[in-house]
This record gives sequence, structure tokens and C-alpha cells, in this order.
Amino acid sequence: MTATLLLEQVFNGLQAGITLFLIAAGLTLILGIMDFVFLAHGSQVMIGAYAASAVTIATNNFYLGILAAIPITFFCGYLLEWLIIRHLYRRDHMDQVLATFGLILFFNEVIRITFGPAALFSNFPPSLAGFIEILPDTPYPVFRILIILVGLVCAVAIHLFVSRTRVGAMVRAGASNPEMTAALGINIKILFRFIFAAGATFAGLAGMMIGPLTSVEPGMGEPLLILSLVVIIIGGIGSVRGAFIAAIIIGLVDTIGRVMLPMLFRTFMSGPTADTAGPALASMSVYILMAVVLVFKPTGLFPPKGA
Amino acid sequence: MILDLLKKFTTLWVILFLLALFPIFTAAFDLPFWNDVVMRIMLLGMAAMGLNIVFGFGGMVSFGHAAFMGIGAYCAGISQYYGMDNGWYQLLISMVTCGILGLVIGFLALRTTGIYFIMITLAFAQMLYFFFVSLEQFGGDDGLIMDRSDFIFIDLYEPLRLYYLIFFTLVFVSIVLMLLIRSRFGVILQAIKSNENRVEAMGLNPLKFKITGYVISAVICGVSGCLFASWQEFVSPDIMHWTRSGDLMIIIILGGLTYVAGPLVGAIVFLLLEELLPDLLHVVFPSIAENWMIIFGPLLIAVVLFGKGGLMGVVGNRLTRPAARKDQ
Repeated sequence: MTATLLLEQVFNGLQAGITLFLIAAGLTLILGIMDFVFLAHGSQVMIGAYAASAVTIATNNFYLGILAAIPITFFCGYLLEWLIIRHLYRRDHMDQVLATFGLILFFNEVIRITFGPAALFSNFPPSLAGFIEILPDTPYPVFRILIILVGLVCAVAIHLFVSRTRVGAMVRAGASNPEMTAALGINIKILFRFIFAAGATFAGLAGMMIGPLTSVEPGMGEPLLILSLVVIIIGGIGSVRGAFIAAIIIGLVDTIGRVMLPMLFRTFMSGPTADTAGPALASMSVYILMAVVLVFKPTGLFPPKGA
Repeated sequence: MILDLLKKFTTLWVILFLLALFPIFTAAFDLPFWNDVVMRIMLLGMAAMGLNIVFGFGGMVSFGHAAFMGIGAYCAGISQYYGMDNGWYQLLISMVTCGILGLVIGFLALRTTGIYFIMITLAFAQMLYFFFVSLEQFGGDDGLIMDRSDFIFIDLYEPLRLYYLIFFTLVFVSIVLMLLIRSRFGVILQAIKSNENRVEAMGLNPLKFKITGYVISAVICGVSGCLFASWQEFVSPDIMHWTRSGDLMIIIILGGLTYVAGPLVGAIVFLLLEELLPDLLHVVFPSIAENWMIIFGPLLIAVVLFGKGGLMGVVGNRLTRPAARKDQ
């Protein structure tokens, strides 16, 4: 176990955490402000990844792919809210779970019919394929650095938007008390639709960026959805700041655990057993973390004020 | 009292009666495959009925009950791995393990409410899922191949023995549920669903009833899982994947969550659609026959948007008189 490897894993963890944050940022507002259990948020990730990959493959230009995919995901989110979601706000959580579960099935099949069941591969441009030395003798892929940077820029932008602008103030007000906000004359319907579409765009952006790193395939969003739900719960529903901190924690715990636990286990177990047990228990550790947080702070680490 | 139950839960009795006669039908038309489908319907229906104690009657949206099915299945699988084939003991072990786990998880999870409760139950289910993935000795991700358990005097390899074992377990579970829902406990549980504060103000401890309900539902899911292992002759962590917890919830909501028979109706419709939609699509749109979920997904959304109270509710309201409909 060298310090270099550890550093590399910390960066990988940061990258995973940032990706999770992009997905969780919109979802935490959807859950917090609209009190809506939206399970199909992972499908937005998939839509973003597919839109970007398809355009990239067709035009052979990665940047064009991203550029095209951003409005596509925004439009998808907007349309989805207008067609289906807005009819479900007043329903109870069970109905929302069922309907959005139906949406997941629907989106997965649409993608499967359009693009086939096999994974889609799109390469990022050669200019991003290199390595940067983050420390002397510690090369790290440029593309992952880029993901971290883009994610951080988004995080700062979301933070400034939510904390400094007038619309942001409406969003915060909505998160702590939607009825009161509506009573003050704020058009909560438009606000909801805007947040929904923006959340879909950020989730789509996460999908676009991890597309070249993982396989772009039907159902790729579901594991990410579950993890981002964990992030939201740990951070406190409706809190963007909480989502950021929790996403970084989860990203680091999951990534580093996946590398360290098998090593740790190999000291007292046979190799193959440790290789199976390690990653599984690393995945488990995320949920243990969440359960512990909930048992001691039943509304997460940073619940929005007044909620 | 039996007569009373007969009158009150007509739909459930009719379904059970049809299930009892179903093998005659499959034998007459030589469709042994459908026995298999119906066994799966009964097993998932049983688990969903168990979940419905907390979900429909108690108002607690547990997103992790597939874990208890998995525990039940692994109790059977691991017992057999160590050479203990007796199915009755395996059932007992499943029930006790699920009961204890249900008590622990229920105690911790019920500190939270709303979305947080949904998520913490999911968290515990995921923990158990990954725990079994990590158990290399019992197959890890690939699962554990096993034989049908040995229920003394009932050789499960004889045709239809497994079918009727599952059937009579389902009947037993149904009767327990019917009695439970009408008992003092059941009434209080439903009262907690509509207004927990009032129940507390009446001097009762809601948490005690909620945990009890949680444990009972966990045990029923465990029984279903234990038999599921024998039916499948195979156990893997897949049985407790979170999408199965989702399936169980869908089955309940589809059937109607305020009815004891609701989950069973839901299981029948859900699994029949799963079997028949591909065939149907094959006739209409051969190119997308594999993608039957493209019909199924929007169907679920339609049930939520237009069908209040699930299928039992929709059909029930049509059948009852307008005057009776008012006070529902």
C-alpha cells in the first residue's frame, strides 16, 4: 500500500462524489421542495449519457455531444414534469413510488428499443486522454480531473444561485415551507417545473461525463439513483450543502473502501475470499453509514431550517 | 366465526378456491408450465400480503421487504449446505431469524418517518444484499444451488406436492391475516395509519404496535422466501435485490392496499402480465416483443393516475351500490 495509490483513490473518490452530487443536487430539491419521491431520476442520467454518446458517435465530436445533450436533458425534464409529474404532487408517497418506477421501466425499454441492449461506447477526444502529474511521479487522467473541475464549478454555481439570487431565495423558501411560499404569491408551479428541469439537466450532465468512463447501457442510472438517495438522506432532504458534503463522503468511503478492504481482508483471509468480501462490504459500508446517521439524526446531517 | 370470515373476505376465498382447483385445469389442458407460474404467483402474493400488514394497514412504506424473503431463502439454503434437509426446521429457522431481524430493523427504522423511513428500510435491505454478495462460501454473487427441502411425509419431487405445500401455506397465512386485521391489534394498527397522535392520546404506545406489525410481516416474507428457495432450487442475492422490494410494492398497490386479498390480486395480474405481454406483443408488434415493459411501465402510471384503490378498489366500487360507496 503506497501513498501514491491512496492519493489516486482519493481523487477517484472525489470524482465519484462529485458525480453523485450532480445527480443528488436536483433530487434533493425535488424531494425537499415538492415532497416528491422521484425514482426515475436515474433515467435522466441515462438519457444524458445516451444523448451525449449518440451525438458524439454521429458527429465524432465530444464537445458537440455535450452541447447537444444539455438542452435535450433540460427539455426531457421539462416535458416529463408537464406531462406526468405535476399530476402526482398531491398523491401520497406510495403512488409516487409506483408511478416513477413505471417511468424507469418505460425509459429503459425506450432506450433498449432505440439503441439496442448492448452498451454504447464513445471515446473522449485525444486531447483529454492524457495524464497530468498531480504530484511528482503520480500521473492522473486528465478526463477525471476535468469531471472534478466541472462538478466543482456546477456546485459553486448552484450554491451561488440558491444563496444569492431572488429565485434562489424562492427555492430556499419552498424547501422549508411550500404552502407559505405559495401564499406569499410566488408561482410555485413554474418554480417546481424549473427546478425539475434544472435537476434533470444536472443529472444528465453527470451521465454525459461518466459516459466515456463506464458503459452507457439501459438501466445504468439505477445504481447511481440508489446511491444518490443515500447521499440525500445523509445530507438532509432539501439541503444542497448537505448533499455536497454527503456526496463527497459517500464517494470517498465507497471508492477507498473498495480498494482498502480487500487488502485489509487479505491479511487474515485467503485471496479470492477477500476479493469477493472486500468490495461487497465496501458497498455495505455506505448503507451502514446512512443507517447510523439516521438512527442518531433522523432528518439527516443538515436539514433545511424550518423543515 | 369462520362463517363471518367467509362472508367478509369473499374475494380472497374465491381466489383461494380457484387456486386449489387450478392443477386440475392444467392437467386437463396439459399445461404443466402454468403450475410453475401459479406457484410463483402464490409465493410473491404471500410475501406481498405480509408486507401489506405494514404497508397497507399500518401506513409504513417499507422499501426493503425483499431482504426478509432473501433471509428466508438463505436460511433454507445454508441449512441444506450444512446437511440439514428438514424443511420444517428450515421454516422454523427462517421465521425465527426473520422475526429477530425484523425486530432489530423495525426498532431502528421506526425512529424515522416519511421518506426517511422509506430510505432507511432500503438501506438495511441493501446491507443484507451486499452481505450475502460478500459470502464467498455460499456462492456470493453466483448463488447457491440446492435441492428441494425435505418436508417429512411430503416428497416435493412428487408432482404437485410443492404446489399444495405452497397453497396450504398461503391459506394459513390468509387466515392469520384475516383474523389479525379484525383483531384489536389490527384495528389499532389501522388507527395509527390514519392518526398516530390520537392513538397515542388514547394511552397506547404506537411504536409497540408498529414494531409488532413489522415483525409479523417480516416473518411472513421469510416463510415465502424459504419456500421460494425450494421452488427455485437455487438461492442467490438476486432474490433480495431492491427491485424486488419495488415489485412487492407494485403488486400491493396494483391490487389495492386496503384489502387483505389486494396483494394476491396484484400478484396474479402482475405476473400474468409478465408472462402474457411478451406473447401478446409478439402478435401485434413482433419487433418489440422482448420489450414488454414499455407497455407495463405506462400501465403502472395509469393505475396510479386513474385507478384509486388499486384493482380491488376499482372493481369493488363498481359492484357496490352508490349508497355504500359514499362512506368509503
